[in-house]
Amino acid sequence: MGNKDTFWHTITYFYENTVFIYGVSLLLVYALLAILSYIGVRRFVGAEKYVDYDKIVGSIDTPGISIIAPAFNESLTIITNVRSLLTLNYPKFEVIIINDGSTDDTLEKMIEEFSLVQVEFAYNEKIFSQPVKRIFKSTDFAYDKLIVVDKVNGKSKADASNAGINCSSFPYFLCTDVDCIIERDTLLKMIKPILDEEEKKIKEVGTPCPECGHVHIKEQYKRVIAVGATLRIANSCEVDSGVITRVRPPKALIPRFQEMEYIRAYVLGKMGWSVINSVPNVSGGLGLFDKEVAIQAGGYDGKSFAEDMDMVTRMCVYMRNNDKDYLIRYIPTTQCWTEGPPSLKVLNRQRTRWGRGLFEVMWMHRKVIFNPNYGRLGLIVFPYTLLFEFFAPIIEASGILYYIYIIITNQINWPYAKILVVFVYFYSVMITTMAILWDQLTFRYYKTWSEVLGLCLMAFLEPIIYHPMIVFFALKGYYNFLTGKKHSWGNMQRQGFGQKPKPIITPPQTT
Amino acid sequence: MLSFIVADSLFGPFFRKYFYYYDSYPVVIQIAVFLTAVAISATIIAYLSIIFRRGKGYLTDVRTRKINTFIDNLITDNIIFNEEILAGVPPQDVKLDLEPFQKQVFSQGWVKQALVDRLIYFANSFSGDRNLLFKRLFVELELEKLSFNKLKSFNNSTKILGLVELTSMSVAVADVLILPLTNSRNRKLRSEARIAYIKLSKNDPFKFFDDATEPLLLWDQLELFKIITTTEGLTIPNFARWITYSTNKSIVSFCLKLVVHYNQHAAIPSIVKLLDNKDHYLRVEAIKCLGKLKADDIEEKLIAIYNNQPLNCQIEILKAIGRFSTGKQIQFLRGEFIRTSDFDIKKNAARSLINHGRAAKDIVQNLIDTATADGAIILKHCMNPLIKY
Repeated sequence: MGNKDTFWHTITYFYENTVFIYGVSLLLVYALLAILSYIGVRRFVGAEKYVDYDKIVGSIDTPGISIIAPAFNESLTIITNVRSLLTLNYPKFEVIIINDGSTDDTLEKMIEEFSLVQVEFAYNEKIFSQPVKRIFKSTDFAYDKLIVVDKVNGKSKADASNAGINCSSFPYFLCTDVDCIIERDTLLKMIKPILDEEEKKIKEVGTPCPECGHVHIKEQYKRVIAVGATLRIANSCEVDSGVITRVRPPKALIPRFQEMEYIRAYVLGKMGWSVINSVPNVSGGLGLFDKEVAIQAGGYDGKSFAEDMDMVTRMCVYMRNNDKDYLIRYIPTTQCWTEGPPSLKVLNRQRTRWGRGLFEVMWMHRKVIFNPNYGRLGLIVFPYTLLFEFFAPIIEASGILYYIYIIITNQINWPYAKILVVFVYFYSVMITTMAILWDQLTFRYYKTWSEVLGLCLMAFLEPIIYHPMIVFFALKGYYNFLTGKKHSWGNMQRQGFGQKPKPIITPPQTT
Repeated sequence: MLSFIVADSLFGPFFRKYFYYYDSYPVVIQIAVFLTAVAISATIIAYLSIIFRRGKGYLTDVRTRKINTFIDNLITDNIIFNEEILAGVPPQDVKLDLEPFQKQVFSQGWVKQALVDRLIYFANSFSGDRNLLFKRLFVELELEKLSFNKLKSFNNSTKILGLVELTSMSVAVADVLILPLTNSRNRKLRSEARIAYIKLSKNDPFKFFDDATEPLLLWDQLELFKIITTTEGLTIPNFARWITYSTNKSIVSFCLKLVVHYNQHAAIPSIVKLLDNKDHYLRVEAIKCLGKLKADDIEEKLIAIYNNQPLNCQIEILKAIGRFSTGKQIQFLRGEFIRTSDFDIKKNAARSLINHGRAAKDIVQNLIDTATADGAIILKHCMNPLIKY
């Protein structure tokens, strides 16, 4: 009896005190992020005022960028999307489309439209991917930047991206989805944080080595290994020939919640982390990476469920293990527009995979957590992710169960409970509103008041409608990881921009 | 602790009045109530800020659009369709009618600034006679005084704005005003000051290369390169001077790029000295520069140092031999192609062999016939005109 009492006393103490401290800490971290991201956004806007990107467009010394865009059964939109990628504004780039074993006529359409012929291409498999069958180049000079790789289906975007990296010629690669709409000046804007650092150089370390007689050297510069930018939902935007002509928040509820979530995650979250060089992840939807470091880190893991976060973590680990300074940068302007899951079913699949991926990354890189050898990665990025991203759904869900328990057993103090609920609710509203305000500071994306207001209102609905679903999907992902349940990657039924809806394709990819 | 005391003195009376039991709440609940109040206040402030910013932005847009139309009409009538310019009078002899630009409306600061912005816009859009007229108008209306005042500001952003305006309108500025700014700790100010110095200095536009202690960042190099190569009437010095003596590696690296652009063969001896530099990144730049200058006299030296170099230098040496295409190192390239298992070395050796054209035709064919399947594909890859890289 005594033991039972002690147990319940511990549980009660945990939820009424420890969790409160945990919750307040989380909210304070968000407040800190809001301040940091404000600094970052202001700094970016201030610097951007005087930047003339046109000066750089004609320069022959800009580093080349390979755009890598995997395509699986994208027949409906592939031509428009490839054309859109080919018209980006940058002096030196190539577009590598990886046809990842499409079962429709994606490849045939590209062959016909872009006058492609098979070439004997020296493919160098520096990182693993499923076999490449053929590589195509265009006979039309207008498409000389285009390379099409036809490969065996690798059951993941990561595997296709690896094949693209192996084919690429330039020192940087931009990973994106072929159905994303990328702003024309994206490459210019994303290469800038890299070029804003010093050139590569070395310094001599110590006295001549007694073994070899030479003074050893150490690289003495901060290498920007990845750059990210804000992504936004394109579901209700107007698109003409692969270009966004009118920005609108999504009309449907589920994508609209995601729009708000993306703004909060990118403009407030990642931008804030960028200020203290602690960015945890560069999105798979749009990320510019240093190819050499990505290859040394092993590229994308084709079997990972969070391949983007996993690769960024491995790149950081590689840099730390080799005693090299690195930076990961974010820019707050929206450079990429993607189609968000339009239905609960697709959202469920996507977020369950993300939850599973997070667990997987935490487990795979557990040696990094609280490890001072990994600097900020070990002492800020991973502890934050573990405590406030990974544990949050578990604590929230168990907290609700505890609430139900004390209600049933009539142990609840209703006035205090109401105060706490109101506190959490309004704090959540405040953080989201701040994110929207910061976004408005960067650029007034929406044309009308009603559109901004409509998005702001989502902040009031999110804690009640959207957030519980996200928590549930995350927990489902954790469960799937622990039980090793097979996961269907699926292929989101893209509606296309200004296209008729595609027929639903049975997902062939399972791991 | 102090913040809690301050917060309590500010908000305590309010809570005690409206939340009767506030003082009797546990600390946890008191904190929750306090943070709720903060969250609600911050949310309201955020909403007001959004409304204010959008409203202000909208009004500014409307106001700017209106005044810009007015200014554009004045500029169109007086400058673009200036009768004397149309009649072929040289721009320096055209009598500018300043009266329309000195109306009461231009006494307001923001209107004056709008006029400056429009003049810069038109000056950048037009070349030749009209470009000169815009610059004359800028000076005759004494708008450059506004820009000079900005240079005296304590605010770096304002200084940058002043520099941009003066540079755009090619107004001469004393070296003593700009030179200190070329080593500013503020990155953007430093960059703009360097651009301004190159464009506006009448004495020695490259003088700041001597004193540059702060690095010339890659982005700044691109901007500066564009300015140097497009500014008319700039006296181009021999960049070997800085390649030899500058202790600022970024200046040396930048000068190597300028040497290539201006094809300064006189700088080759200075560049060759860099081959002994311990910084392999600088050596790469030097080898690249020698290759692009087609300095084939140093081909033997490059071959001699080849085996002691890291991979990036070796690749650059192979590229340089391909650029020289003297025909003397065909066997060396062939040997490297056969010997190495490194993909990048093999590919660059193949490409350089193919660059030799007819002189290496038989050897290339022989390699295709005898090489491994992978080696033959690399050769065919490099020979295919559809594949650029």
